[in-house]
Amino acid sequence: MSFDPGLFMKAMSHQAPPYILEHLNLVLIPMGIAILIALPTGIVITRPGYRHLSPRIMAVFNAGQTIPPLAVIAIFFPFLGLGYGPAILALTIYALMPIARNTITGISTVPEDIKEAARGMGMTSWQVLRRVELPLSVPAIMSGIKTSAVLTVSTAVLAALVGGKGMGAIIFAGINFFQPELILAGTIYIGAMAVFIERFIVLMEWLLSPAHLKG
Amino acid sequence: MIELENITKKFPGADSFSVDRISFRVNEGNICVFLGPSGCGKTTILRMINRLEEPSSGNIFVNGKNVLEVDPSGLRQSMGYVIQQIGLLPHRTIEQNVGLVPELLGWEADKTRKRVRELLEVMGLKPDEVVRKYPHQLSGGQMQRVGVARAMAADPPIMLMDEPFGAVDPIVRIRLQDEFLSLQQKFQKTICFVTHDINEAIKMGDYLIILNQGRLIQMGSPIDVLTSPADEFVLSLIGEDRGVKILDLTRCETLMEPMRETPDDLMGSGCFVQSIQPVKLALEVMMKKDSDHVAVCREEKVIGLLSWKNIKKHINRVSGEDE
Repeated sequence: MSFDPGLFMKAMSHQAPPYILEHLNLVLIPMGIAILIALPTGIVITRPGYRHLSPRIMAVFNAGQTIPPLAVIAIFFPFLGLGYGPAILALTIYALMPIARNTITGISTVPEDIKEAARGMGMTSWQVLRRVELPLSVPAIMSGIKTSAVLTVSTAVLAALVGGKGMGAIIFAGINFFQPELILAGTIYIGAMAVFIERFIVLMEWLLSPAHLKG
Repeated sequence: MIELENITKKFPGADSFSVDRISFRVNEGNICVFLGPSGCGKTTILRMINRLEEPSSGNIFVNGKNVLEVDPSGLRQSMGYVIQQIGLLPHRTIEQNVGLVPELLGWEADKTRKRVRELLEVMGLKPDEVVRKYPHQLSGGQMQRVGVARAMAADPPIMLMDEPFGAVDPIVRIRLQDEFLSLQQKFQKTICFVTHDINEAIKMGDYLIILNQGRLIQMGSPIDVLTSPADEFVLSLIGEDRGVKILDLTRCETLMEPMRETPDDLMGSGCFVQSIQPVKLALEVMMKKDSDHVAVCREEKVIGLLSWKNIKKHINRVSGEDE
């Protein structure tokens, strides 16, 4: 297998770019759905009535995280078949776990005396959640979203295997046709996307962080 | 006025009562201290008054209203609450922390701002220096002061204080206690005060309620409790130095022998005390001046003589020991 710089330049400038948007969709859509599901779930699980469930649910989330992404896709393939939809679903499930886990950890590590004082001042439980627990959990929640997003950028490559398109298509094409130029170009774009998304979330995290941590 | 009627509390899963059939009344403008070892139920009683815990049975009345029939949030906003861990909100400035209850009550921003500054000043903090700071930028003593200021923000007639000066060193604690007592002279709040420290209880309390294992063992004024402890438990709680503690609460005028003529030698050598000062101080003066007695004055005038013999007799009498 030889490396052809001309072919590599062509892959970088023409073949790979059309997949960027597709790949971003494979990241942003599952992330969006995952946040919409995991955040409220994490909040509900930390409410007094359900708190006793949280160790068990955390155990499920932790176990879920240890399954390799390819296996997640493989598990769902028999039920959902091939294509874009199943890929989105598998990626969503995979993205859920770090967000839910960090939301639960974040909220349940808000010190008891702070919540106690807030209630003692006459805040309703909704006000305690909205004004005390959530603001103080922002760093943990955002770090869960960050982990999840970076993971999804790389896992989404596998979507191509089940016909889900994305940057994986060009990488697997490179593997199938013995063209390392394509693999390298795809990988570079994946890396760039991961770095870009991570930086963006760090910025969001800073904007949303509780005031006393901004220093 | 706060009134508890036959209150019991049993936590789910516990096999004994945390609070066992307790009734008492706290009169307006009084500091009532709940005293006892940890686990005696004192904090639970406090938390039932503002409904952070619900009693298993019994009734609690605040100014004639049954607290179990009012909205808990509104009830808590109408009472100041101070806890040992302080629990300031770390992501809010000192100004926002102190203005928390006014904010919940929907005060105008200007009114709240003025009130916050006024209170910080009352609590001995410089408003301009602290309002923009966050809690972690303050010292422990400053945080305790902010905690008390926050509880007083909406001027509640009732304050619930759970070891409010427990997290600072002894020197700062004594200063905070003194300052708080002089504030209380002015504001006359009705206060429930939890502590496990007998010295703090005697100093702060108009009235003591002594608890052990959920049961009320004794209630009465500090001097009542010191002079006639109900049982061995109270005796052990008070400690070996009961006599000295009594002398700290007894005024010189109550033990002196009235006397008109001026014993010049005593006055000249500085061997005198004021009639309202505690007998403990008279002892201190006697030791320093190596004298068996001190002159007792009211302002500039000598009104009596206090001798070591009188003090000893008094200690023996109240301790129930023979001379």
